[in-house]
Amino acid sequence: MSLMIFGTMIVLLLLGFPMMIPLIAGSLIGFVSLFGGFGQLDTMVQQILGGIRPASLIAVPMFIFAADIMTRGQSANRLIDLVMAFVGHLKGGLAVSTATACTLFGAVSGSTQATVVAVGGPLRPRMLKAGYNDSFVLALIVNSSDIAFLIPPSIGMIIYGVVSGTSISELFIAGIGPGVLILIMFSVYSYFYAKRYDVPTEAKSSWSERVGAVRRALWPLGFPVIIVGGIYGGIFSPTEAAAACVLYALILEMVVFREMNVKQLYATAKSTGLITAVVFILVGAGAAFSYVISFAQIPQQVLGAIGIDDMGPYAILFTISIAFFVGCMFVDPIVVILILVPIFAPVVDSAGLDPVLVGTIITLQVAIGSATPPFGCDIFTAIAVFKRPYAEVIRGTPPFIIMLITVAVLLIFFPQIALFLRDLAFAE
Amino acid sequence: MTAEDDRRSDHEPTTPPPGGAPAADDDIDDSAYVSGLPGVLGVIDVSIARIEAVLLALGVLLMALNTVANVVGRYLLGRSIFFSEELNQALIILITFAGISYAARHGRHIRMSAIFDALPPRLRKPLMIVIAVVTAAAMFLLTWYSIAYVGTQASRGRLLPALQIPVWWIIVWAPLGFFLTGLQYALTAIKNLIHKDIWLSTSTMEGYDDTGKEEV
Amino acid sequence: ADTWRYAFEEAMDEVQGQFAQKFKEEVEANSDHTVQLFPFGTLGESTDIMEQAQSGILQFVDQSPGFTGALIPEAQVFFVPYLLPQDEEKLATFFEESKAINELFPPLYEEQGLKLLTMFPEGEVMMTTTEPVKGPDDLNEVKFRVMTNPLLVESYQAFGATPTPLPWGEVYGALQTGIIQGQENPAFFIESTKMYEVTDHITRTGHNNFTTAVMANLDFYEGLSEEEQTVVSDAIDAAFDFIIDYQEGLTEESLEKIKEAKPSMTITTLSEEERQPFMETADEVEQEFLEIGGDQAQEILDQMKADLEAVDAGS
Ligand code: NA
Ligand code: NA
Repeated sequence: MSLMIFGTMIVLLLLGFPMMIPLIAGSLIGFVSLFGGFGQLDTMVQQILGGIRPASLIAVPMFIFAADIMTRGQSANRLIDLVMAFVGHLKGGLAVSTATACTLFGAVSGSTQATVVAVGGPLRPRMLKAGYNDSFVLALIVNSSDIAFLIPPSIGMIIYGVVSGTSISELFIAGIGPGVLILIMFSVYSYFYAKRYDVPTEAKSSWSERVGAVRRALWPLGFPVIIVGGIYGGIFSPTEAAAACVLYALILEMVVFREMNVKQLYATAKSTGLITAVVFILVGAGAAFSYVISFAQIPQQVLGAIGIDDMGPYAILFTISIAFFVGCMFVDPIVVILILVPIFAPVVDSAGLDPVLVGTIITLQVAIGSATPPFGCDIFTAIAVFKRPYAEVIRGTPPFIIMLITVAVLLIFFPQIALFLRDLAFAE
Repeated sequence: MTAEDDRRSDHEPTTPPPGGAPAADDDIDDSAYVSGLPGVLGVIDVSIARIEAVLLALGVLLMALNTVANVVGRYLLGRSIFFSEELNQALIILITFAGISYAARHGRHIRMSAIFDALPPRLRKPLMIVIAVVTAAAMFLLTWYSIAYVGTQASRGRLLPALQIPVWWIIVWAPLGFFLTGLQYALTAIKNLIHKDIWLSTSTMEGYDDTGKEEV
Repeated sequence: ADTWRYAFEEAMDEVQGQFAQKFKEEVEANSDHTVQLFPFGTLGESTDIMEQAQSGILQFVDQSPGFTGALIPEAQVFFVPYLLPQDEEKLATFFEESKAINELFPPLYEEQGLKLLTMFPEGEVMMTTTEPVKGPDDLNEVKFRVMTNPLLVESYQAFGATPTPLPWGEVYGALQTGIIQGQENPAFFIESTKMYEVTDHITRTGHNNFTTAVMANLDFYEGLSEEEQTVVSDAIDAAFDFIIDYQEGLTEESLEKIKEAKPSMTITTLSEEERQPFMETADEVEQEFLEIGGDQAQEILDQMKADLEAVDAGS
């Protein structure tokens, strides 16, 4: 059954069916063969609805909305002008700033999809204007957003911590090392990319120009204050911070800058709704598909056949990495963690592996998988938001995936990348 | 722009022109929407399209308002809006199901078109018909079973814990959305059968957006 | 030989998971059927697995009555504070002998297509907070996370706190950053979900004991042979005894583990005197329950009180 399901899904996807159809078809085949007919398809509907309902997903439309208002108005450009005033003259400066902004925003907002929209939305046009190739820009945005999984607060780590009984504080700290390492690698790559394709730099700004840029950006600098200050300061949950940004963006663009009228507000809200819908139906269909995988106990069968019980520590870590990577290519990361962690738990335990290290490796794989075709959730978010073809969104991905996998392998052989900070912080 | 295009072409010859146009250019003008249906049915269809658009916009605005109000309530009044979460759930379901039909009308559903676009037109057209028919069938199937699901919820009398209203009120959009989406794809299949050219939706011809343009 | 599917709301090594594993072991030892276990989240949320049990996709499900309130309003009686005793032995006897549980509830579940197999306690609910709590005054203005249930909201409002519904996945982060300053759960759950890492004080107010219920799909259950029904009910009985034993000392053990992991954690058991102001709010919540608890709210509440008196008299 698994072969038929995955085969059908890939064929439908490649033929150009709307992406919800491969996911729906995969679930349909699953439901029909599991329950011997169409009798339980209402549970498939239940799962689709269950997939789009979680309260924590509300941050996604809210950040889409805020970013759309900022981009149509002046806020986004004023913020980017500020960044450019300081790094515009550096080779790859804009790309490195984009990667850093995605990492930071993703870390704080807790949602990689929101990051793709909120940071990628305003920055992509500027990067294109600066002369970067679109595939590079898209891949940079999607992959840098995924670093967010590793940097606290991370929902993935919280779920892992709860399911495996591992200290969440330790996980949070262990994620920082690999997260920063990846950001550094992306930055170095961006620098060499800009050099290789000779992306032009802007003239270095004078200090008076910089002061001017700061002044122009004073109002929009309220956004980072709301998001970082609001969330880390314990005033907002990420979802609430997103809604607060919407409110602030509306005040700036409609009252302060007078850039937006009610008609444009309506158009922006509608466009946000449309993007939300095409992304969320995929999230819902993906949830129905996850249900089939989980109900049929496909991971248990596959892993049982491989024989994880008799493996050495390195083999176990590699198997875990591959299992999570493949899982997240098809299924929502949270569900993958919920299903796979209990399956691996006894093996991890008996091999005496550090659960914090395992958690960090899993979180990294989840991040990679979410940015990886065919069904990585950040890929379809990017397609919906940037209205670029699927092939173009994924074309620039390979170098990033290679860097991420390099870090994943490094992490297995040099666990100190993750555990160094943890040991420092939790030293007896 | 020429310098950029050259640089682009030296390593990725097939890249289309940059999509850096401001988002506002992509806005769908609902007054320009032409239904794929004739006569009275067409008038009804145009009205439904309008309603979908309004629901999308209102849904998003209400969601923002509800979420902000919850924060304000918590800090200024010392009381959370205890039904805030459920209201957002209701809104996200509304937005999703009003939106999938609206997206189908305007050919906005996400698809991987690389292979499709590379095929010659005489293969693309029948494939488009197959895609539209299969998608419509899947949507109608889900319409049927979501009616069943809504019916079950109604008959069990399940209530939302905080709002204390029946659950089925907030999920009734699912069958509606699936049905209207299925209808759009069915109409797209018909449009492709009786008209020449290749139609991505009843109102969107292939090549209308720049995804298609590169191949023309 | 059939495969029976059993879903529950917690992880494999938490209380519901332990119960399910014992049940599986017993069924598989005494019949040729196999039981597949689906822990928290693998088949959807609590309401999803409940619906699947109702529609017969799942044969068994564990859902806490508090969550069942949307379906069977009477089940919310378990959220009325200071109703259940904290003494574990009394509690076990109550669950075994209670007329409310064994006679009044089953027909209510049957109306929903479910066979109520058993209810069992999961442990005393405790508050974990960032500031110490000695009385309702200390909860004033404290944003306290509760499940989205009207009675819990009412309880904490009556305690003086600002009840703040938050999805479970956001609770850890919200405690860490300070959006909320407290949450409640049984000790084993505070330990396993690491809530103690982001709070500093545990307070035992004794206001509730978390209860859960195991059910079977009614059609499935009635379609079983008498022999098979006996296998099921024997397995439930064995798992019940097992879980009562398992829990003896579990609370203390969990608290010790917390203390070991975070020595600075304070654990305070409020005296009867200190509990008095909390207890005085119970009436308010009881009234609310009678209002929203469905047709049989009064009957169930009265019967539970009578059952508890009987347990007291018997011991
Ligand atoms: Na994060
Ligand atoms: Na994914």
